[in-house]
Parts: sequence; C-alpha cells; structure tokens
Amino acid sequence: MGNSNAEIAASGRVSAPDLRGGAPQLTRLQKIGNSRHLGLYLMAPAFLFVVLFFVAPVLLTGVFGFTNMSTATGISGGAYLANQSSMRALRDKHDFGELADQINRVVFTIDEAGLEAAAQAGASAATLKELNAKFFGQSFGKRRDVERAIKTLDNRPSSTRAIKAISKHFERSVFNIRFDSADDLLAALNKFGISLDPQQQAAVIDVTYTGWVFTTDNFKRMISLPDTRTTLYNTLFYVFTTLILFNVGFALVLAISTHYMDAAPAGFFRSVWLLPRITPPVLYVLMWKWLAWDTGFISAVLGPFGIAPKNWMLDSPTNAWTFIILINGMVGASMGMLIFASAIKAIPTSLFYASEVDGATRAQQIRHIILPQLRFPILFITSYQTLSLLTSFEFILLATEGGPGGSTEVWALSTYFKALNNYAGSLEYGYGAALALVLVVVGVAMSILYLKLFDFKTLTAPPKIE
Amino acid sequence: MNKRYKATLAALATTALISIGSGAALAQQYDIDIWFVGGDSDSYRGEAIEIAADFLQREAAVRGEDLSINVVTKSFSGWEEMKQGVTLAAEAGAAPAIVAAGHEDIAPWAQSGLIVPIEDYIDVDAWPVNDIYPNLLEIASFDGQLYGLPQDAESRPFFFWKDYMREIGYSDADIDGLPDLIQSGGYTLQDVLADAKKIQDAGLVAEGYGFYPRVSNGPDYWQFYTSFGGTIENDEGKLVFDKEAMTGFYQFFVDAVELGVTRKNHLGTPWDQWYAEVANGKAGLWHGGTWHYARYTGKEGQDDFFGNIQFSLIPAGNAGGQPNTLTHPVVYLLTQQENDDAIAIAADLVKIASEPRINALHAIKSAHLGITKAESSVDLYAGDRWAREATERLLPFATAMPNNVNFGQYWEIMFGGLEASWTGQKTVAAAIADVETELATTLGDDIVIR
Repeated sequence: MGNSNAEIAASGRVSAPDLRGGAPQLTRLQKIGNSRHLGLYLMAPAFLFVVLFFVAPVLLTGVFGFTNMSTATGISGGAYLANQSSMRALRDKHDFGELADQINRVVFTIDEAGLEAAAQAGASAATLKELNAKFFGQSFGKRRDVERAIKTLDNRPSSTRAIKAISKHFERSVFNIRFDSADDLLAALNKFGISLDPQQQAAVIDVTYTGWVFTTDNFKRMISLPDTRTTLYNTLFYVFTTLILFNVGFALVLAISTHYMDAAPAGFFRSVWLLPRITPPVLYVLMWKWLAWDTGFISAVLGPFGIAPKNWMLDSPTNAWTFIILINGMVGASMGMLIFASAIKAIPTSLFYASEVDGATRAQQIRHIILPQLRFPILFITSYQTLSLLTSFEFILLATEGGPGGSTEVWALSTYFKALNNYAGSLEYGYGAALALVLVVVGVAMSILYLKLFDFKTLTAPPKIE
Repeated sequence: MNKRYKATLAALATTALISIGSGAALAQQYDIDIWFVGGDSDSYRGEAIEIAADFLQREAAVRGEDLSINVVTKSFSGWEEMKQGVTLAAEAGAAPAIVAAGHEDIAPWAQSGLIVPIEDYIDVDAWPVNDIYPNLLEIASFDGQLYGLPQDAESRPFFFWKDYMREIGYSDADIDGLPDLIQSGGYTLQDVLADAKKIQDAGLVAEGYGFYPRVSNGPDYWQFYTSFGGTIENDEGKLVFDKEAMTGFYQFFVDAVELGVTRKNHLGTPWDQWYAEVANGKAGLWHGGTWHYARYTGKEGQDDFFGNIQFSLIPAGNAGGQPNTLTHPVVYLLTQQENDDAIAIAADLVKIASEPRINALHAIKSAHLGITKAESSVDLYAGDRWAREATERLLPFATAMPNNVNFGQYWEIMFGGLEASWTGQKTVAAAIADVETELATTLGDDIVIR
C-alpha cells in the first residue's frame, strides 16, 4: 500500500480506473491522512483567526498604548491646521505671540493670481472681468465677505457652489485650512509672506499637527491618578472574591454534593445551575435589577414590614458588590461544576468502595480521594476564570455601570468607558489601550504564576490511576 | 396606487429618454444617511431631512436637473452609542453624511477632520440661515467657522410641584412670582433644600423625594457649577476649573443627601421610573429639560401641567452665583466624504430642514424650542403655550457648554467627582482634590485651575 502511494505520488496523477474503484479512493484518503502538512492545513483557519482577533489586537493595543490617540486626533493620521487653538498654543507653549497673531488671521485678496486660478478652474470670464473691475486689490477679512462682494456683481454665478468655487482662489492665508503635510503648510506660509526660522518652524509644526504622537504620558497619568488605585483594588476584590466564593468554591460544593446524590436528582440540580448560563445576559441582569429596584421585588416584600423602598443594588458599595458577585458567581459556578463533576466521575469507583470498606467518612473521601484528583481541573478553572473575570465587565456594565460613585468600576470597565463609551463622546483610544495593556500583562503574569504554583509538570505526568 | 403607477411610468420614460438622448443630463443619485439620537418624539430629526430631500429634488426638477436622493435614517437610543458609532464609522471611512449630534462634539470632530464646516457649502446670508438666532449659530461654530446648523434648541428648567408649595405656606401669588424671584437671585439653592425638607417633613413626598435631580450624567450638572459662579471657559478659549464654584456645587448635592431630601443612591434610578414619579407629584422639586413637557403630558398622562407645575431658571447657589439655565442644541453636522458633491447635497438638505415650518414640526412634537425668529410666526409653534412661555422665560438666560477640544474629558472628570462625593465615596474636599489632580495630569496647560 505504501509503495502504491509512493507510485501515485511520483506519477503525480491518478488513473481513471483507480478513481472509480473503492480501494484506490481509500489509498488517496490515506495519503492525505499521512501527509505531514495536514495538521498545518487544518490549523490554518484557526491560526488566521488567532492572528486576526488576538495577536493583531494585542500588538495594536501595545502600539496604541504609547500614543495620545483620541477622538480629536483620529486614528488614521493627522493634518497640519492653523486655527485659534493651535495659535493659542503657539503663543502659550512656545512664546511666539507675534507670529501667532500673524498667522491667526483670514485674508482674501482679489489679485491677479486669484483671477487667473479661478479662470483656469472654469469660472465665467464675464464674472471675473466684473470682479476685476470692481474689486481688484481689495482685501476681505472673512470668506463670507468676499462672497458677499461676488454676489453684488451683475454677472454673479447662479449657485452658491459656483460662488464658493471662485472665492476660494483668493484666499491669502493658511488659517483654518488643513494641510496634508508640514511642508505644504510651511510652503503656504512662505507664499503668503510669513517666513520662519528653524525654531519657529518646529514650533508651528508642533502646535498645528492634529494627529496622534507617540508618548509615555498615558502610563505617567495612570500612576499619578488616585482613581487608578481604587480601580485596581476593585478589580482584585471582584476577581478573587467571585473566583474563591463561586467559580471554584461553590462549583466544588455543587460537584461534590451532586456526586453523592442519585443520578436523577443530581442531573436535575446540575441543570438548574446551568440556567443562568443559558439565559441571555441582558435579560438575566434585568431580572436582578427588577429584584433590586425601588419598585422591585425586594422593596415590595419588605414594604409591609415598614422598610422604605430603595434601590437595593445601588444603595451602598457593599450592596452593589454583593449583587455583582452573585450575578457573576451564579453564572461562573456552573462551568466549574461541570468540569469538577466530570473529573469526579473519572475517578474509579473502586477507590470509593475500597475506602468505604476501610471505614472512611465522606469528609475523608473528599479530602483524600476527590480533591487530589481535582488538582488539575481546579488549576484550569482558576486560571481560566481569573483571566475571564479580569477582562469581563459586561454584567457590571449592565447592572451598576460601575456605580454607586465608581465603587464597582473594575479595570476592564474603566478601560471601556475611557476608550469606547462615555456620555461626553470623548474617546481616548491611547489611554484606553494603555489601560488594556496593563490587563494583558497582568493576565500573562497570573497565568505563569498559576502554572508555577500548581506545578504544571507534575500535573502533566502520566496518571497514576489506570 | 394610480399616482405610483404614474410616477413609475414617468421614471421609466425619463430613464428611456436619458438613455436614448445623446448629451442628455445624467441622473444624479445620492444616498444620504442621517444618524440621530431619539425616540418617537424626536423622529423629525430624521424625517426633516427626508422632507428636505423632497424639496431639493423638486428644486432640481424646476431647474431642469434630474436629482434623486435616497435618505436613510438611523436612530440611536443613547448618545454614547451614537458618538461611538460615528467616530468608529468615520475611521472606517463609512461615516453617515449627516449627524445630529451635541454641539460639544464639534471641536474634537473638527480637529480630527471627521466633520467639515457647513459654511463652505451654503450661503450663510441666505434664508433660512440668516434667520437663525445668532447665539445658536455661535454655538454651532468652532474656531470662527460655522460647522453645522442648530437642529433644535432647549433649556433646562427647575420645576416645583405647586400643591406642595402651597402646603408649606406659599400663596398662589408667591408661586406665580417664584420665577421672577429666582431670576433676581432672591431664592437660592439653599432655599431649595429648605423647601424640599419642609415638603418632606409635612409627609407630602417620601424620604429622598424632596429634591429629585436628574438620574445620570448630562449637561444639566454644569448649571449648578454656574449657579455657584463657575465659568467653564474663559474669554481666551481656555477651560477653567473654579475650585470654589465646584466645591459649592458638589457640596449642594452632598447637603441634599445629608438632609435626606435626595437619595444617596439616586444616580442610576431608571429613567422610566423617574419620569413617572416627577410627572405625577411623587417629587417636590426637581430639574429637567423643556422637552420633558412632551413626556409629562404625553406618556405620563399629566393633563394639567400648568395647573400643577411651576418652572423657572436654576436658582443661584449663593450670593456670588447666578440663576441660569443651559441650552444644549443638537446640531446637524456634515462628515467628510470622498465625494464632495454628496457633502454639498447634505448641506443643502440641512439648510432646507432648518426652514421654520419644518423645524416647528420637531420643536412642537418633541417640546424643544425653535431655532429661527420666524418660527414663532408659524401657527403650530405660536399656538403652543409651552414653547411660547419657555422661550420667553428661559432662553434669554441660557448659557451653553463650550466647543473646546478638551471639554469632553473635563466633563467626564467633573461628573466622576460629583458622583464620588454624592454617593459618599469621597468627601467633597477629597473629590475636589482628586478632580484637580486628574485635570492637571490629563489636560495640563489646557486648563486654568483657580
């Protein structure tokens, strides 16, 4: 068979009878199956997705984190724009007040060059002739003034666009014009009689650039802000409390307790705990909100006992955290429960029988049989859920939006608000990316720490149970 | 049906003529997207552009041109989503031609080249632009250029539930005179706290419902900064952080919580609950916007608005402050497009949509204020008591947020500080200190701290 494969491979073609018969088809399949490259082919789509949706974003986050990119700078690049703000900066930051005043004005002059340019652009000769006759040599401080002048002509263009097409040729200043390159701006300034020494050129380029620049300011800002520390503590509290209490702790309780039940009730309880996971997150959180609102279930139940209705979720940071950890934990516990329960199932029942013969209690069975065998699943759940909780903020966003007073704002949520979603529309992509970069670094560090802590090498050693 | 049949025939005939006739003008086809924020009552933010498209096509037909405009409207339920959508779409080169956004977006969007000045495309001396209130045009401008046209105007009044004011000793004449008293500075935010407390102590409203403010971040909160004498931007166009005014503003809300007239966990209350409560006498004093009138008298069923509710400017915070209100016009902005003709068409549509009669449809349906002087002569507008009275009582005193590239960051930081002190996470002094640090670190020389 191997020879036959080799022959086919060598000939580079398959004869017609071979294709029709059963055996040659098998041969071909096997050939693919034996191919050293098959794995690569199969992995290619996955690899592509990983590069596109993980590697590239992480790399871009790394780059963006060292920029001041924002709504105002745009992402794709900037222009050189002399406007009131940049001229103010030229005055304040570089102390070139006089130069700023020179640049900071609009001039439209009816001159030979303008008339020629307008004629070349196709403006009516009669219009230009009349403009020349009536306004030659005159200057205007605003575009609308020169357009008002054009509108007084007997031969005025019939449309606003045609008037604007003429007026633009008489502009003799750079104010409020976007130049694609610094050279274009400097050339235009020079053309309008403003020549700059190298120091002035550098200053003008610095203040007029509208795009983003590389900077390490994001990290300096992060370190100096008092709220960064609060967000960090919030994140650590959120991740580890949810992880210990629910994602690992409660999941273990569920897995072990259902292990000692009969199959039918055990299956039922596991299914019940899966419900939060299969409920759409928005609806799931909405139900919690209904529970906690002033007009919700808790207030309605406590009302007859003389307790004033209030928003129980947002009443205090403690309440908010309680709800957030419950909301996350109820969903998070189910995954651990499934993994732990199946791991317990994999333990040979003979071990349990033997221990019972030796008179072991349930607690002893858990301590000496179940938990040692769950070491790897616990490592997996702990690392997976740590990373997952670090980056997840959707339940907090839906439930408290980080409130009350920012007390439940975790790192990922804060990043989201800064970079992508805030009421004022001031999206700071650069600072947001710097915040996200911290999460990536912390995530990788935590993974390494877990592998060391749980001694990955011994975990991947051949199993002792056969 | 018959009309449609005729229209189809006409369209077919036109197409046939164009394809047959050599040198005949080619049909110009434009797809114009308009994105805006709003529910049913704000539908004219999009529909006005559709009406304008019909006009523009007719004008073209009169000139003998064949112009076809397909307007696609898209509404968002929240500003956050729309602003995020517009900025990201623009980066991908797919920005909608027209955006109805808050005027404070002009500065950053102009800086990044996302939007283009409308004055490059329309004649600002021509109707109806020459009839738009100059202060609104100023609000739609940045760095001396007119970037957009105001789509609406509004202001944000303070409200009183009249019955409760009577119960705590105000006569009808007192209540009628309250707006003037507030305007003269004779009734301040300290009186607001005192009256809210009295209303609550008399058992007229529940604990925490004496003064019932807005439930989320919004331009409204800048009014309280102004009430305590704060300035957001100086004459040179630099942002200003006035520590004393900001302290007074934060302290007012902390005092309200400590007095028990406002709930500590008030921020985050669902809007639907809030509207239902204030429109039906569950709260004593509160503040909102002129457009709330549509909600109170519509969905919330308040059928005697003027009988039950008094409205005024936001009172001064103290002797040094000033009574004020804030107008936050939505503006139609034009985004940078590859096809300059498409921008010109979009500009014409925005211009036509600003016609008094078309704008009045939005103003009255959504209880906003008009943008042109002539609008008050349109029957629909003139016949509406709320539009008339709110325009007279509030608009002359309205300030606006500045069009400044860094304002958005200042705004978010300001609200963060308010939220932290209101909910007791920080003392007012600590919140102010943190806001100062954050502003100094984030904005550096671009803000004056005093």
